[in-house]
Amino acid sequence: MNAMALVARREISVRGRTKGYRYGLLVTAVLVAVLAALPKLLGGASDYTVGLAGPQADRLQAVLAAQAAHGTDLSIKVKRYADEAAARKAVAGGDVEAAVVDNATVISKTVVDQGLSVVLDTVHRMVATEENLTSAGLDPAKVGQAQQVRPMTEVTLNGSGEDATVRSGIAMIIVIILFMLLIQVCTWVAMGVVEEKSSRIVEILLTVVRPWQLLAGKTIGIGVLGLSQLVVIAGVGLAAAQITGAVPRLPDGTYGLVAGVVVWFLLGYAFYAAMFAAIASLVSRQEELSGVLTPATMLMMAAYLVGFVAVQSPDGTLTHVLSIVPPFSAMVMPVRSAVIEVPLWETALAMGLMVVAATAVLLIGGRIYQRAVLRTGARVRWREALASAS
Amino acid sequence: MLEVDGLRKRYGDTVALDGVSLTVRAGEMFGFVGANGAGKTTTMRIVMGVLSADAGEVRWRGGKAGFETRRRFGYMPEERGLYAKMRVAEQIEYFGKLGGMSAEAAQGSAGALIERLGLAERRGDDVDSLSLGNQQRVQLAVALIHEPEVLILDEPFSGLDPIAVDALAGVLTERTAAGVPVVFSSHQLDLVERLCDSVGIIKAGRMVAGGTVAELRARESRKRLRIVVTGAEPGWADRLPGEIVAKTDRPPDGQGHGSERYEEVILTPADDQEALRLAAQAGRVQHFGWQEPSLAEIFREVVA
Repeated sequence: MNAMALVARREISVRGRTKGYRYGLLVTAVLVAVLAALPKLLGGASDYTVGLAGPQADRLQAVLAAQAAHGTDLSIKVKRYADEAAARKAVAGGDVEAAVVDNATVISKTVVDQGLSVVLDTVHRMVATEENLTSAGLDPAKVGQAQQVRPMTEVTLNGSGEDATVRSGIAMIIVIILFMLLIQVCTWVAMGVVEEKSSRIVEILLTVVRPWQLLAGKTIGIGVLGLSQLVVIAGVGLAAAQITGAVPRLPDGTYGLVAGVVVWFLLGYAFYAAMFAAIASLVSRQEELSGVLTPATMLMMAAYLVGFVAVQSPDGTLTHVLSIVPPFSAMVMPVRSAVIEVPLWETALAMGLMVVAATAVLLIGGRIYQRAVLRTGARVRWREALASAS
Repeated sequence: MLEVDGLRKRYGDTVALDGVSLTVRAGEMFGFVGANGAGKTTTMRIVMGVLSADAGEVRWRGGKAGFETRRRFGYMPEERGLYAKMRVAEQIEYFGKLGGMSAEAAQGSAGALIERLGLAERRGDDVDSLSLGNQQRVQLAVALIHEPEVLILDEPFSGLDPIAVDALAGVLTERTAAGVPVVFSSHQLDLVERLCDSVGIIKAGRMVAGGTVAELRARESRKRLRIVVTGAEPGWADRLPGEIVAKTDRPPDGQGHGSERYEEVILTPADDQEALRLAAQAGRVQHFGWQEPSLAEIFREVVA
């Protein structure tokens, strides 16, 4: 079998077998599922029971039923109580979330949930106004008619409001996942390079495998593990969000967006993994690794922060430019695409540039690796590695 | 035939190799001997292509050895290296496949080596749970798995217990019998003397002696005579022509010579026939012969 494929398979089977990887994947999947379902779990109490007492109870109940049926996704049940004392007892005992007494007082344990509070307030105003108008001598039937108001029609300029919230939520998740995943798998690549160098096994490997085969195999193997993590995260997240109904309807083009994220992940990975591998080949011990990697991690961190900015201002000058400039584009462009419609040519240009940049880093990184990986002992200087790479 | 021809290597101002040449024929076991830092490891790394030489070349079967040729060599580097978190059998097989074997062939060959090197009980364990000696056996299996055409082993015996030494010696002898040239370096000169068909001694980047152990002896041993005489007057040996290297009047344990006085002399003779005549005059000559130096003695003399 091809040496590169053998190296890649070893990475997948040995690293994929470790407890760290398996539990990591499991924990990630559970975490993503919980996060996706969280809005529903937290906001789950949209079923309320309200206690009513006092002479206006009949009228309140009728209006409440009409209001609850009107548009809001709250469902409200009603229980009746003889007097304030009974109502208080019911609230204290948790039978009802809130009780309205004499259409003048609302009793609750702590604070009434915002959604319920708005409904109760509206109902209170309507019934009180009705009473005031009737006692002023107006015909109760006419008052009732006058209260019938058609709700306003919503017109949003940037798609529906709900969509925009979901979109920026998705964008935020994309940038976090891309960053975490890229830094994790690229660190694996770097550690793998140092592992082979520090244990000197690279000396045996390079008598049977060419350096580029070793590096490419390692990068591809770890890339497959990273990609499968991304697929699990995306799959579990989308499924959980839909099953639990946390996101009732995914915005148009969500699947295209996810496919785009996968492509950007691969491009970003090619770029950063080659960079991390080349840097790692300069040192001989794991302890030296984090020090030499700092500039590369800083670069990644910068792209991450710009990605965050892009969630809020997808069309700002900074985010607009950096969504096309590699390597920032790998984290900024998918975020922009999630929030707004990005012209196709911009995406194509950004991807093209990123392909060029990744290829350049792969070539230079591969050469540095080839020259530095057999030199154990003191850290190899950049200048030496680059000079001897020619 | 493996030929190393005129290798030169410098590190800055330090000359590591200054024209190293050696030849190992098919089926020959070659012992590579030298003090620490003399250039053994550098030579072997260049032979394996892990290091590039400034000048000189390595030939195998008459052709210049390139990457594809060296893929068929087996190598055990001075600094041992294995994947710590990989199982013994899996690791050996992996190197077999990298060396171009099919999965089945690698599995079969790994199984046989594991059996042969006494690792059968540990085959499913991670390498880092093994003792150093057992890790070394795995290292050797990694070098041998793809049935290499040439074996280059840097200090393969260091750190092994006597049983493992015998197992390794057995495996190497088997390979030479199959026509594989084996080069190994070692500081255990008795082992080299016992196992090797030929020996090369390197000093400061130059080969200073080479040939079969018998040839090395023949060249060096002309110099020393061992004479044992009984019943001679004390002081007789002072008249011997040449330089006395050692002298004792105590017989080796268990060798009785009756009541007669015993005397043993190691001599670098100026005239061996005259020495024999004088010894015969002085007393009864029990032993008179050229002393066979051990490889260790030859080594000390050559390297000094």
